[in-house]
Amino acid sequence: MKQIQFKIAFLVFLAVGVGFTSCSEDILEENPRNVFTPEFFQTENGVEGGITALYTHLRFLYGAWNYYNSTETGTDEYTYAQSADGNFKDMDLSGVGSIISSSAPPAGPWFSCFGAINTANGIIENAEAVGIAESLVAEARFFRGFDYFLLVQTYGGVPLDLGSGELVFNTSTFRGSTRNTVPEIYTKAIFPDLELAVQNLPEQPRLTGTATKNTARLYLAKAYLTYAWWLQNPNNIPTYPDTPRTDPDGKDAAYYFQQAYNIATTAIDNPGPYTLLEYFYDVHWAPNDRHAEMMLYADHTEESEIYNGASLGFGISGDQDNASVWMATWNYTAIRSSDNVSTVQREAAQSYGRPWTRMAPPIEVFKNTFADKDNDSRYDATFTTSYRNNRDKLSPADFTEYPNANDIPVGPGEAVLTFLDEDDPAVDYSGNKASIGAGSLPGRSDFVINPNGISRVVYPGLWKLGTYRTDNNGGLGSPNAGLTRPFPIAKYSEFYFIAAEAAVKGAAPQGGKSARDLINVIRERAGKWRFDNGEQEERIEDNSATLVNETPAVITIDYILEERSREYFGEGYRWYDLVRTQTWDEVAASYSISGNAYGDHSPQTFTRTIEPYHYLRPIPQGQLDAMDVSQAEKDAYQNPGY
Amino acid sequence: MESILLFQKKTLRYLGLFFLSVFFCSGIYAQSTITGTVSDGNGPIPGVNVIVKGTSNGAVTDFDGNYTLNNVPGDGVLVFSFVGYEAKEVPVNNRAQVNTVLENDLQSLSEVVVIGYGTQNKESVTGSVVSLDGDELEEVQVANFQQALQGRAPGVQITTTSTRPGADNASIRIRGVRSLSGSNDPLIVLNGIPFSGGLNDISINDIASIDILKDASATAIYGSRGANGVVLITTKSGQKGQKATFSYNTYYATKEVFAKYPMMNGPQFVALRQATALQQESGVPIYENYGADEDPNVNTDWQGLIYGTGLQTNHDFSVTGGTENGSYSFGGGYFKETSVLPVENFQRYSLRAQIDQQVGAFRFGINSIMNWNVTNAAGTGIYGNLSATPILNPYNEDGSLKRVVSMPADDFWVTTRSTLKGLGEGRVNLQKDFGTYNNLYGEVSIPGVDGLKYRLNIGLNLRTSRDGFFNGQGVANIDPFAPNSAGNSSNLFQDYVIENLLTYDKTFADKHKVNIVGLYSVQNSKSESSFLNARNIPNEQFLFYNLDSALLEDITGYGSDYGENGLESIMGRAIYQYDNRYLLTATVRADGSSRLAPGNKWVTYPAISLGWNVANEKFMQDVDWVSLLKLRAGYGETSNQAVANYATLGNLGVRNYNFGDTFATGYFVQDLPNANLGWEFSETYNYGIDFGLFNNRLSGTVEYYTTKTNDILYRVGLPSTSGVGSFVGNIGATENKGLEVALNATILDNPDGFTWDFGVNLYTNRNEIVSLASGQDRNEGQLWFVGSPINVIYDHKNIGLWNEDDPDFQYLQTYEPGGNVGMIKVEYTGEFNEDGSPVRQIDSDDRQIIDPTPDFQGGFNTRLAYKNFDFNMVGVFQSGGTLISTLYSSAGYLNLLTGRRNNIDVDYWTPTNTDAKYPAPGGIQDGDGPRYGRTMGYFDGSYLKIRAMTLGYNFESSLVEKAGLNSLRLYATVQNPFVLFSPYHKESGMDPETNSGSDGSGNAQNSATGTAGFISRGIATIGTNVPTTRNFLLGLNVKF
Repeated sequence: MKQIQFKIAFLVFLAVGVGFTSCSEDILEENPRNVFTPEFFQTENGVEGGITALYTHLRFLYGAWNYYNSTETGTDEYTYAQSADGNFKDMDLSGVGSIISSSAPPAGPWFSCFGAINTANGIIENAEAVGIAESLVAEARFFRGFDYFLLVQTYGGVPLDLGSGELVFNTSTFRGSTRNTVPEIYTKAIFPDLELAVQNLPEQPRLTGTATKNTARLYLAKAYLTYAWWLQNPNNIPTYPDTPRTDPDGKDAAYYFQQAYNIATTAIDNPGPYTLLEYFYDVHWAPNDRHAEMMLYADHTEESEIYNGASLGFGISGDQDNASVWMATWNYTAIRSSDNVSTVQREAAQSYGRPWTRMAPPIEVFKNTFADKDNDSRYDATFTTSYRNNRDKLSPADFTEYPNANDIPVGPGEAVLTFLDEDDPAVDYSGNKASIGAGSLPGRSDFVINPNGISRVVYPGLWKLGTYRTDNNGGLGSPNAGLTRPFPIAKYSEFYFIAAEAAVKGAAPQGGKSARDLINVIRERAGKWRFDNGEQEERIEDNSATLVNETPAVITIDYILEERSREYFGEGYRWYDLVRTQTWDEVAASYSISGNAYGDHSPQTFTRTIEPYHYLRPIPQGQLDAMDVSQAEKDAYQNPGY
Repeated sequence: MESILLFQKKTLRYLGLFFLSVFFCSGIYAQSTITGTVSDGNGPIPGVNVIVKGTSNGAVTDFDGNYTLNNVPGDGVLVFSFVGYEAKEVPVNNRAQVNTVLENDLQSLSEVVVIGYGTQNKESVTGSVVSLDGDELEEVQVANFQQALQGRAPGVQITTTSTRPGADNASIRIRGVRSLSGSNDPLIVLNGIPFSGGLNDISINDIASIDILKDASATAIYGSRGANGVVLITTKSGQKGQKATFSYNTYYATKEVFAKYPMMNGPQFVALRQATALQQESGVPIYENYGADEDPNVNTDWQGLIYGTGLQTNHDFSVTGGTENGSYSFGGGYFKETSVLPVENFQRYSLRAQIDQQVGAFRFGINSIMNWNVTNAAGTGIYGNLSATPILNPYNEDGSLKRVVSMPADDFWVTTRSTLKGLGEGRVNLQKDFGTYNNLYGEVSIPGVDGLKYRLNIGLNLRTSRDGFFNGQGVANIDPFAPNSAGNSSNLFQDYVIENLLTYDKTFADKHKVNIVGLYSVQNSKSESSFLNARNIPNEQFLFYNLDSALLEDITGYGSDYGENGLESIMGRAIYQYDNRYLLTATVRADGSSRLAPGNKWVTYPAISLGWNVANEKFMQDVDWVSLLKLRAGYGETSNQAVANYATLGNLGVRNYNFGDTFATGYFVQDLPNANLGWEFSETYNYGIDFGLFNNRLSGTVEYYTTKTNDILYRVGLPSTSGVGSFVGNIGATENKGLEVALNATILDNPDGFTWDFGVNLYTNRNEIVSLASGQDRNEGQLWFVGSPINVIYDHKNIGLWNEDDPDFQYLQTYEPGGNVGMIKVEYTGEFNEDGSPVRQIDSDDRQIIDPTPDFQGGFNTRLAYKNFDFNMVGVFQSGGTLISTLYSSAGYLNLLTGRRNNIDVDYWTPTNTDAKYPAPGGIQDGDGPRYGRTMGYFDGSYLKIRAMTLGYNFESSLVEKAGLNSLRLYATVQNPFVLFSPYHKESGMDPETNSGSDGSGNAQNSATGTAGFISRGIATIGTNVPTTRNFLLGLNVKF
């Protein structure tokens, strides 16, 4: 009995044990449910997603504070400000730092563009297999051209082979790299890609802000123009890897200047959905963002933190934060009324935003570039020149009038501090006024600062790129978040500049489209006012005729550069413009500004040391460290001088 | 059990049945009452179980060793059993009085060590194993076993990585770190089943013993999971024949801040701000203008406004007992800890049940632990209070607290004990965890083969947690209109293990002892999670329970995740002992894992170890003073399961974008697939000596080991020009070498007077990266350098301050363009010109690798007993090494020396104080602090610290008896009473033990910034976390 019971029990027991474990056949199989594997790129959804990622990558550069720094600091537009760290001092080349291979600011394109290029490679390859519409694939081509163009302008020659062959989707773990020459990049990648993009992209954008025929034309025209300058090399700036200034296709600089002119004027004649806005003010007036003049931007949204890619509450100036303008914003919250009340609060509004005090515009910006502040609306629509009492937006709202300059009370909305248009010798800077060493004029309730009194710690803010939110609900809002505005990259107006520059360089103009004609289109528009930003009041005025009359009879490259600065000041164009035209060392050779201390209104002149080798940025140390090659090969990979 | 022997031969079966029937049919003889006394060589033994064999009729001896049993058959057999003695069977033979003498059970006196899939006598262990019993762990009462292990076992380094109650706050490193990007955490096995729960899920009062397997010959049975060592936790269980006892343990502790962070007071701070003027061209201080709420005559102690008294309390009870054929133990507990910072606390409710029952030839059992944790983390941390300047006035004129106060460049939401407590539901952060960890087993002796058993283990674990947070509009925010935010996340983790074990245990010819284990097991783990975060919850009363009430556009994050992996294993282990002199253990395990690519899924790990009990040799028999002398050596291979789920498949990254108001998701190639991906392997050689001298009055172990880890997995950064970030490959090697010493001494041993025991352990571990990806001797991005430890500091070397009388002062501007006297001077490693001037300025090339590894570290414990009193002391120490304090480093933003925020009270340079340690305030800067400000945070890491001192009193047994109790003990403990020999403590007054580390994502668990790229993530630091506390504890243990 017992024995049989035992036997049965034993068998049951074994059966349970074995039964439990016999289902292990598929225990070693993986069934990923939470990750996308690269095979997904072979589906239509995957290809579209890849193109979306290409747009996203714009945010890593356009709006990123350190890349922004590299495009502006060290040019005639900006120098370092009082709170600048080494990143900004290095870029200034004025003896307080130097650009080396480990400098972070000029490394941005290197670190961002190749990934986008490879994604584009993958899309272009896979799309054929899957049968995706050519117009969609053309967006990938546009970006491959766009990224190579940015790289070649920044570093000289870069690799076309990422590891699996030239312009081929890289799936290898190869850890070396060989740089192609500048003409190879233009003729094998940039021109064919952008030309195909012009051919296949639609007239109208697929989605808000996506690339069109004319977006591709803009970059193609600019690439022709830049390549033409490179071939011509008027100031003997070295290139790397070293290569003769000849075109593989046997064309010369004049040919490419003409090409640039032709493409640009074709776009002007066939604007598609684009147009010049009537007023320059509206180009940067935040409620008007994503308008018909804007061709390309790194978009952001305040509607969703997830798709904005950055916090809507408190930015960390991280990957996707649009934080550029913070650098150029001084700490206006230090302003105090004469009874020590902070009358200008941090506000999520276009004149204010989050101060970092890293970059300051030198005095020449106000004396030379924007000498005409009265007729030309662009000065007024570029800078924040008046800081106003906004205590009514506090909680609880404070409508008190606080004694300001000359102890005259100043209430909500009234000017607390004004940057004067012209120097006024009567300004009295004594007594650390407003706690920021401001000045006063007899009878005026606002503190004032002369253009000549601009310092590294107190200077006009950059209104055009300023913070804008629609969710302030009458309060101060979230000024510490990265901007939810699109960061502008390319505008329709640039076709006029490109064509004009090509014409100055010898391209044969069409009737009515001489360099002067083209520049005057821009200047006419600049003369039209509808609102005075400094005074914060309506101003209907048309000074077009005056501005056109002031246009010199002969347009020079120098004049185009000045005009470009007036039009695109602080938008990240400047370094590339000066490098293309080989005028950086001349235009930005020196600047003047007062020091770091509040109340310092004694400008000093600073000299920059800009060597020919600086026209190429260093290959980032991270690239060299990651390459599995000999030290000699690494040394040879680096641009000379670094 | 005997009946099973009868199955040995087929022909004997019927005979066996016959004998069985005799057992079950007994009772035809006369019944009578029997009395007697049980004693050992020293006198009567109370509590001995006396049972009539084959019945449930039994009794227990009283205090004088006497027993009385009724209805005993005259031909019956009495079985006497008691823990620590050999069981004895005595036939009654119709006597009325049966006295007996029990012999000490030498086997049980010698310590039993849990070695994984079995136990072994300590004497016969050949691998490297440290054992700790529950009583030792309880000497320092803390929330989790990791902290209790601190300083207790050589080679086992426990580092505190967060001081917040309920935080996963300790890392265990057994014999150092070996993996670069994989986990360095040991495998934890709870009651035989791999444990995957939270660190705080196990109450230390439930633990009967912890055994730590350190070398590969010991861990090889865990194969691909054992490379980082194995911690075997055994919870309390009953014993066969044990009298049922109830025990109740409790304590109550108050916690006070060990030392306030040494911040400046009002006058000191005003002086600092003033001192910055000297370094400014303008001659005015950097922060010339006081903030709107600052007044130089105010002196606010912001820390005083937030600290309070924390508490820690524990209640647990258990009932433990056994019958002739079974044992059981069950109990429950409650633990609560509150912080010295307001609002934050942790509570744990736990249940435990263990049953083991023999049913004929079968044995069945269950071991179950369940816990329910509630963590309240709604505090705001301490950084704000430390950084607020002392000259800020927190009060309005009417005496009420201001909401926000302004410094010159920063605003601070006034954080005090009362404001935080007053928030009520304005700020909620509650995490609730439920875990259940179960092992069911059945065992049967295989008929026909003596000593062969089959066992089935089924491990079923489940852990689920829910974390919800809510922050009301403007709460803890300088902006009163900052929108409210809320989030809710949940995780579910489930796994099962099924193990089929065959064991064969037999001694042949008295001298050949064989133990063989064969295992076939499968394991499967699944994890799932989801979360939703939103802002602008329309009704704040909803907290995080009605997130769907927020608008779609106010959803700030959402997601769900899934992971699954499986492991299939076959293992065999043979232990052979000859005459208890020559010992051999050999193990082979093969693991198949779902995480590896097809074709590479299976890996086999061998291990072997040998031992020689020299003391048992004939030639040692005359050497009386040596009671134990064992030499052992082992070699083994294990691996680290450092491959993440799906890692061989490659991965697309996700990047979102908005085209105006159209939202879209983008994908890009993040990781390339690698079908050849395998695990990293560790090879360990281990050599040890165990000894016991003078009748084991002095015993100890000395071990030396080398561990070489090859095929290290790491994410190889590809150059940017490849267009892909990285791939994960098997590249690189590391090595660990170390020496471990443990000594225990009974210095005095007088049962009627003093006894004094002392134990000390110390150990070293030298870790080194042997190779990285081919051709690389350094990876600066990850701070990996061939020839240096995995965890390093890579920074400039601080060699003092620049002073005008320095011989090289003339080159200051060459070394440091824009530099100033009184700035930090760091070592220059470049070339010099002929005139002695440097060829270049100091730059990042001058950074040096600083090895923060201590020379040695360890712990000690001592116990003094006199009659009913006992005194215990537990300490830890470390010699050398680098301690990183982000408080003193400018990375913590508390030593900026600019007067922007409050500053650590440091001895800074002024023209009249030129031999100061810290630089001139307001001098040349990097970021927001002094240039090279990080180097101010490096200290000599030496210290000796008393962790706990306990004075206990065991009530006189005669008194206790009268109260119907078995034992009653009262004790008082002080934890963290004092620190000795610590340069850091000397300067700061603070605890030199770390309080912060990196979380799972590598983020510092305090406010420090800018340490990435300079300090390896694996290094714990002292930063602005909950300060160390000094705890006063009163406890009571009752048994009946």
